[in-house]
Amino acid sequence: MTRKLLLKPTVSPVDPGKIPEAVCVRLNNNIPVFLIEAGLEDLSRIEFTFGAGNAYEYLPLLASTTNFMLTEGTRNHTSSEINNALDFYGTLSHQYAENDRAGIVICVLNKHLDKILELAREILFFPVFPASELKTLIRKRLRKYLISREKVHNLALDKFYESIFGSHHPYGRQTLPDDFGKMIPLLLKDFHSGHYTPQNMAIIVSGKITEKLLKLLNNCFGEISPDDTYNEESCNVLESQKTKKVHIEKPGALQTAIRIGSPTIDKRHPDYPGLKVLNVLLGGYFGSRLMKNIREEKGLTYGIHSTVFSFNLSGYKVISTEVSKKSTQLAIDEIYKEIRLLQSVPVKKEEMEVVRNYMLGDMVRMFDGPFALAESFRLAWEFGLDNSYYYRLADKIKSIKADEIIALAQTYYNIDDLYEITAG
Amino acid sequence: MIKFSRFCLDNGLRILVHEDISTPLVAMSILYDVGSRDENREATGLAHLFEHLMFGGTPGIPEYDKHLQLAGGENNAFTTSDITNYYITLPKENIETGFWLESDRMNGIDFSRKNLEIQKNVVIEEFKQRYLNQPYGDAMLLLRPLAYKVHPYHWPTIGSDIDHIKNAGLKNIKDFFFSHYAPNNAILSLTGNITPWHALRLTKKWFENIEKRKISPRQLPAEPEQTKERIRTVKRDVPADALYKAWHIGPRNSDDFFTMDLISDLLAGGESGRLETKLMREKKIFSEIDAYITSEIDPGLLIINGKLMKGIDLNTADELINKLIAELMEKYPSPYEMEKVKNKYESAHVIRNSDILYKAMNLSYYELLGNPDLINTEVERYLKTDKVMVLETVRRYLVQTNCSTLFYKSSRDEK
Repeated sequence: MTRKLLLKPTVSPVDPGKIPEAVCVRLNNNIPVFLIEAGLEDLSRIEFTFGAGNAYEYLPLLASTTNFMLTEGTRNHTSSEINNALDFYGTLSHQYAENDRAGIVICVLNKHLDKILELAREILFFPVFPASELKTLIRKRLRKYLISREKVHNLALDKFYESIFGSHHPYGRQTLPDDFGKMIPLLLKDFHSGHYTPQNMAIIVSGKITEKLLKLLNNCFGEISPDDTYNEESCNVLESQKTKKVHIEKPGALQTAIRIGSPTIDKRHPDYPGLKVLNVLLGGYFGSRLMKNIREEKGLTYGIHSTVFSFNLSGYKVISTEVSKKSTQLAIDEIYKEIRLLQSVPVKKEEMEVVRNYMLGDMVRMFDGPFALAESFRLAWEFGLDNSYYYRLADKIKSIKADEIIALAQTYYNIDDLYEITAG
Repeated sequence: MIKFSRFCLDNGLRILVHEDISTPLVAMSILYDVGSRDENREATGLAHLFEHLMFGGTPGIPEYDKHLQLAGGENNAFTTSDITNYYITLPKENIETGFWLESDRMNGIDFSRKNLEIQKNVVIEEFKQRYLNQPYGDAMLLLRPLAYKVHPYHWPTIGSDIDHIKNAGLKNIKDFFFSHYAPNNAILSLTGNITPWHALRLTKKWFENIEKRKISPRQLPAEPEQTKERIRTVKRDVPADALYKAWHIGPRNSDDFFTMDLISDLLAGGESGRLETKLMREKKIFSEIDAYITSEIDPGLLIINGKLMKGIDLNTADELINKLIAELMEKYPSPYEMEKVKNKYESAHVIRNSDILYKAMNLSYYELLGNPDLINTEVERYLKTDKVMVLETVRRYLVQTNCSTLFYKSSRDEK
């Protein structure tokens, strides 16, 4: 090690800077289209998104089954024709049914845009939900579901959602094996016609925006007339359960999954940016308090993470890890210890600096390239927010003080409010 | 077309740079030419354990991550059978921090017992979390030794036995470092908002004074040709039976490799692959099925694996897969099918290369293979594949005597 000493490089302040704005235009029938110009390659990422997520379903699996069945047959095309065409034009597509929204994301080279948009129109507005394809899909999903029930992290997470959101609301309701058999074409058709409508839809396009894009979108989607379908509010009650501590026994498991957290404020709340910073300090990055203590000092786990996330009707926070069965109580005690420390001891300036710069660097990554930009856009837009949310977040990251962290930890991480779920 | 510059320092470090000013970031990838194939059969999992130790600090910089995070960076690493790859993204203003940290840990790390003991525990928990405490998690631990008798692809990257990790000593670790971590055994790539000139200047400043180390030439035993079908049956407490099949394929630089990759897409690319269409949708034999090649540098494997629907017999499922392969030996794929799988490569190539980190890792990897131009030209090797090559490659490799089959049976009697 005869290496000559060099001075440590100086570090410049990190700043996400100006965030590219999405341009909103409307199709002839008023469907909003958000355009985000980005990237060098001649491709587009097109997302069709609907207020058709789990929150709107009156039976478990209804929203996701409806969504997955969109590509299983339309009035003009069989399932096999659709899937062949999507593959033939080299698309990378992704169907999703989240708690609040459902839709499809298609990445495609611009030279195939016209073909793919025509196909998307069929898929989104004219699916026929054939019974035999539905049966195959359901059998497949049931099988996967049964395998997922073997994993301790799934057992713990599902129980956690049920505990914090209640067993009557789709956010918390658990899926049971019997629910699979209840999916029949008529129910899916009904759910589709109520929620996959022009007035319930938005299109987000990012990438290299071509001149012909708007014309193509108007041809495919601009003439579909909004009908007078209902758009019912969900009647399900969102309510946390009383029991805060639950253990699910899984004989033979080598590890125990731990989930600790509770419902919390959502993205629209003024304290949310501060809570995000607190969360990163606690367990949101590799150098976090939890990672340092439980992985890097004690070697109890491969990973431990803390997350703050928002659904439309509620936010929540959760700490997740898997540890050796014998270390379960130690890990839980240490998690609470770290929370108490954040509630009582001011964070030192140096650690604050690491978190600030890590988070600002992360924000730069959130707006880099067509894929990241589109995802960040939707995550604000669906809460009625725009880039000003991100600017507020950046300001808070730069300016938050140690006593604010203590106050936030006391308000939002009250240990008596936390649910503690274990499976293993 | 991805333009790049290539340099080499006197100490043997190779550098590749691709400038892309559309991003405020720079991605840095540093590939070490060492993977689990370089391990001793009695001490497996060391390359991957070592990857963990590289984050444990050095005598000069005790906390690697802290400094990277202070500069707004994000980083991680992965180990495969062939390589160990560390990667970083940083805002362009702070890229020098990446050079500082990576050159420092290439120079030497903190070989402390404490760091070793903790990372051994972390890796043991990783072993449990990903391989032992997951349904079907040990399948690769069983399939690899069935397919490889001599070559070190015999064991997976995590290692063949959790005890090998437990037994790793400080001396093994030091030896491992000085025989594999060296400028002359590494490839550095930079992509994003950085000029080649600036990248070269920084590389010289930070890496030039790390001395070359003695790297023993790699001498791995070649896997002898498999001449007889191999079958193993295991019973596990899982909800459904599963089937794993593996065939030896050609090495990474052969035409056969690309043809075989294309064949794996004919079989299971997207929702319209043959396995998906025939055995999931039409016949409803499997609830999940996949086919892929292991993409290793020495001759790898084509693997087909699937989980069975309730009430389906494993032998029936196996026969149906064999029948589907027999069809590929008797009949050319249609022009439509060939065009479909080729289109997929073309667009996947464009989509993936819109990511600077992916480009950086790829440049390093292709340099390792001996030709960084492959980042632009490899797609042509797929496009030139024709139906005759497909037929011949299937006939040559996907034969029963070259196949290892793992019947992974559920021990529950729910059927």
